[in-house]
Amino acid sequence: MNEQLTEGERTVLRGLAEMGKRVQSSVLAEQLEQNEERVVSILNSLAQRNLVKLDIIEIVSYSLTEEGKKYAEKGLPEKRLFDAVIKLSGKASMDEAVTKAGLEPQEKGIAISWSRKNGWLGIKKVDKKTVLEAKREKVDAELEELLEKIRSNEDIPKSLSKIVKVAEDRKLIKSSITRKFEAEIVSEKKKEISELLEETIDGIADLTAEILKSDKWKEQDFKPFNVEIDPPYIHYGRKHPYAEFNDWLREILIGLGFTEWFGPYVETEFWNNDVLFVPQDHVAREEQDQFRVHKPHTHGDIIDQKHYKKVKKVHEDGGDTGSIGWEAPFSKEVTTRLCLRSHTTPVSLRYLSEHRESPQKMFIIERNFRSETLSARHAQEFNQCEGIIMDKGLTLRDLMGYIREICTRVGIKKMKFKPGQFPFTEPSIEGFAKHEKLGWIEVAPGGVFRPEVTYPLGIKDSVLAWGIGSGRLYMAAMGIDDIRELYSRDLSWIRRKYFIT
Amino acid sequence: MIVECRLDSLLELIGKDITLEKLEETLFLLKAEIEKVDGNDIEIEVNPDRQDMLSAEGIARAVRAFLGLSSGLPKMPVRKSGKEIIVGKGLEKIRPYIACSIIRGAKINEELVKEYMHLQESLTATHGRNRKKASIGLYVYKDIKFPIHYRLENPDDIEFIPLGYEEIMDGPTIIKEHEKGQIFGPIISKFRKWPLLIDSADAILSLPPIINSNNLGRITGDTSDIFVEVTGTHVPTVLQALNIMTASIAERGGKIQSVTIKYPDGGIWETPDLTPSIRAVNCTQVKDLLGLDLKPTHIIKALKRMCYGAKSEGKGKIEVSVPAFRTDILHNVDIIEDIAIGYGFDNIEPTMPETMTTGKLLPITRLKDKIRDLMIGVGYQEIISFIMSSPEIMNNRMNRDRELVETANPKSREYSILRNSLLPVLLDFTSQNQHADYPQQIFEVGDIVVPDQKAETRCRQIPALCGLTSDTTVNVTDMINEVGFILRNLGLEEEFEFRRKEDSSFITGRCAEIIVKNKTRGILGEISPEVLKAFKIGMPVVSFELDLPRDCQW
Repeated sequence: MNEQLTEGERTVLRGLAEMGKRVQSSVLAEQLEQNEERVVSILNSLAQRNLVKLDIIEIVSYSLTEEGKKYAEKGLPEKRLFDAVIKLSGKASMDEAVTKAGLEPQEKGIAISWSRKNGWLGIKKVDKKTVLEAKREKVDAELEELLEKIRSNEDIPKSLSKIVKVAEDRKLIKSSITRKFEAEIVSEKKKEISELLEETIDGIADLTAEILKSDKWKEQDFKPFNVEIDPPYIHYGRKHPYAEFNDWLREILIGLGFTEWFGPYVETEFWNNDVLFVPQDHVAREEQDQFRVHKPHTHGDIIDQKHYKKVKKVHEDGGDTGSIGWEAPFSKEVTTRLCLRSHTTPVSLRYLSEHRESPQKMFIIERNFRSETLSARHAQEFNQCEGIIMDKGLTLRDLMGYIREICTRVGIKKMKFKPGQFPFTEPSIEGFAKHEKLGWIEVAPGGVFRPEVTYPLGIKDSVLAWGIGSGRLYMAAMGIDDIRELYSRDLSWIRRKYFIT
Repeated sequence: MIVECRLDSLLELIGKDITLEKLEETLFLLKAEIEKVDGNDIEIEVNPDRQDMLSAEGIARAVRAFLGLSSGLPKMPVRKSGKEIIVGKGLEKIRPYIACSIIRGAKINEELVKEYMHLQESLTATHGRNRKKASIGLYVYKDIKFPIHYRLENPDDIEFIPLGYEEIMDGPTIIKEHEKGQIFGPIISKFRKWPLLIDSADAILSLPPIINSNNLGRITGDTSDIFVEVTGTHVPTVLQALNIMTASIAERGGKIQSVTIKYPDGGIWETPDLTPSIRAVNCTQVKDLLGLDLKPTHIIKALKRMCYGAKSEGKGKIEVSVPAFRTDILHNVDIIEDIAIGYGFDNIEPTMPETMTTGKLLPITRLKDKIRDLMIGVGYQEIISFIMSSPEIMNNRMNRDRELVETANPKSREYSILRNSLLPVLLDFTSQNQHADYPQQIFEVGDIVVPDQKAETRCRQIPALCGLTSDTTVNVTDMINEVGFILRNLGLEEEFEFRRKEDSSFITGRCAEIIVKNKTRGILGEISPEVLKAFKIGMPVVSFELDLPRDCQW
């Protein structure tokens, strides 16, 4: 333990040493002109270091009730009644005595009851009148004495301790317990303490430019501060944990040679579905799944007419791709319809339309939309991380290799593949990762783009497409089971959550 | 797509008592997954491309071949029944096509009837696009008097007892009151006359695609001879649906018979046609796509495990017979995928190609990252919000009236439009965090979407930055200093200025436009009490919003 004293400890310890005796904390605080609570807290820390002996004493103190206050001022009703009877020559009618004593109506009963109980007065019926008669010449009213002592804040003498109970029972006084702290120097530590106090009589608090310049710091020690405190929570600026996670994914993909690309949230169905060979009457394109845009405009443009014609032909009869197509007419109305993109794959196709020569690697981590009701498992928006690799001679095995490599880099140790199904890839696969708690989770779908997708762009080389369930991975990493927490609106939660790789 | 079936019945169809684990592993390699097991009841998820696996029979057929219990093309001989369907005139624009089959002597029971109903529902829901493209009906063969007429009829003259009911209804009543009529009625109700299937004894089979009659269309566990009919608007869809349905029932030991369809234009079909289609695949194609150097014998073996017929034609060429119930084979790549599945995904070793490329971030991502770092330096907490929001937040509470990109089919009004500004999103965030510690300094960097008639997708997507401070007292000068710090660090020293501005969301006299290179790029100021009240925010707020150039050229 640090043997040096803080400024506060030094002041209190010195004050206590100078008083040279056992003192109450309140007295010490007054002496030091300090807040008592602070002094107690410092005494406590000194006691922990065994420099000071600190005792807690529970003291019972009494105070007057409203009734008690009144009697302390005017005298007890029974005493006043007795005195009145004595003044009326030891015998008087009830009414006379009460008037003489100046008793209030509610005091009358109390006065009669207690003066009889104490054996001070006797009551008799004479000529149908109630008559009071003194049984003593003089009485001792100890109770009055007690009330007076409490009123004037004096100590209660031992002789009165019996009457305290009576006063409490009559609800004239009430007791309360206060804790007092008494401290004294641990006598065996006196030498050590005086050394500690002497050690740095005038320490430097703040190091200033002046002190530096004057070299005063060479002659003086620095006052120590408490450096072992538990720091409170403070909110400095920081990144959102989910944003940090996505930054980390970007870093990994750049490292693997992928180039980031952009595509819009609002898409034509041409890019969102048709170029991907999704049949025009596919259920996923219906209103219950995919957001349609209806204001201020419902339809967009097709820019590349050559591409459009080829896509149309592929849908109708497969064109020159070797496919039979969907054997159905292709609607321009449907293909120009505006929607919110339901996946990031249209971005891959937009990239390919501008980069038709091998080799290429592209990725995107961005938002997509599906017409879902917000719940713990579904949100109308979700992030996708996906990419493509185009080169001569790439195969399904290479796709598996890439997916495995990407998954390894995001921390997945064990994975397996099963065949999958997507309208735009063939073969299609699904990568499953082994999660410690969740078991096998589906994290990485992928496939080789169908000729119906790539030929209309004049691309004959293989294009491998893969995705990573980044939201799912993040949720697994953060122990989140409610998808709404990815986009939490709770500032206190965000301030305390952090992501570390 | 979920297929519900009974485990014992499935294992009986497979013909071997395999463990649940083995079944699960096999299905996993066949694109299917066991979703739930509850005693003898089992739910299997099938990929939508494998319509032929939408029944216990279809699943069993695939598993059997994969495990080598049977292999190659299933034999499904078809004999002519000589029975006829006569198609009437006028159906061309309504529901032109019909295809039928007969299965005699199938061993079925009450459980199976339920399974067939389920298959029929699944097939018409997905493959038949909710009965629009194709719908299926099953009937008691022996009760029908052939030939059957498929013709148009006045809705009011259509009268029969619908399946599961006890009283006669007419066409319009069925559409209005019957549960299937309410769902599928719109497919035909817009036409003046409706399609009808009626036999030679004037007994109605069904009102396609709505409902069968209770007389002829009620299959029970005692029915051994079944008549199957598919009507629809798309020839391949109608024929494929019939093939799948027929093949599934025939798995129960039935004999398939064909039916002759006579069209009014003289066209004649003989259905079902279960002749496999022939495609040629060669070893090079397989190697190019899969990366597996397989000999023809290996390829043939893999194909046979997937229910294909296959034989070597020499020189690495293989003739492949595709079963008639496969609806998903459009191209050779579809067959090659099945070769990979037949070979076993668990036998394929991943490889790592040496495709050499250099990676890079988009310039706008780098700009966004720089801005995020600067905002954090100033002391702001980053937040991430939904892109979708509501007109209430974007316009009403903001005292604004700006054009929004709206969706036609939102599930809730709360998330019905795309945000056209970040400031309302951050104010909404603040209003939800009145209890959190102050000061609150938050920011978001993200895209907003504004309508633009000239653009390809009729809108522009603009990257934007918004910062917001809320505390017991706030000061617009502090915010100006912070925005100045950000802009200077983006290399815009001497290029920006703040110009006083009146704006309905801000306090007059405490609001300025942010102008960069003489272009208005954003706004800053203290939020007006009116807007704060609308958001139910109890503390003062200063904020700024800045649009960023996607190409990073200010």
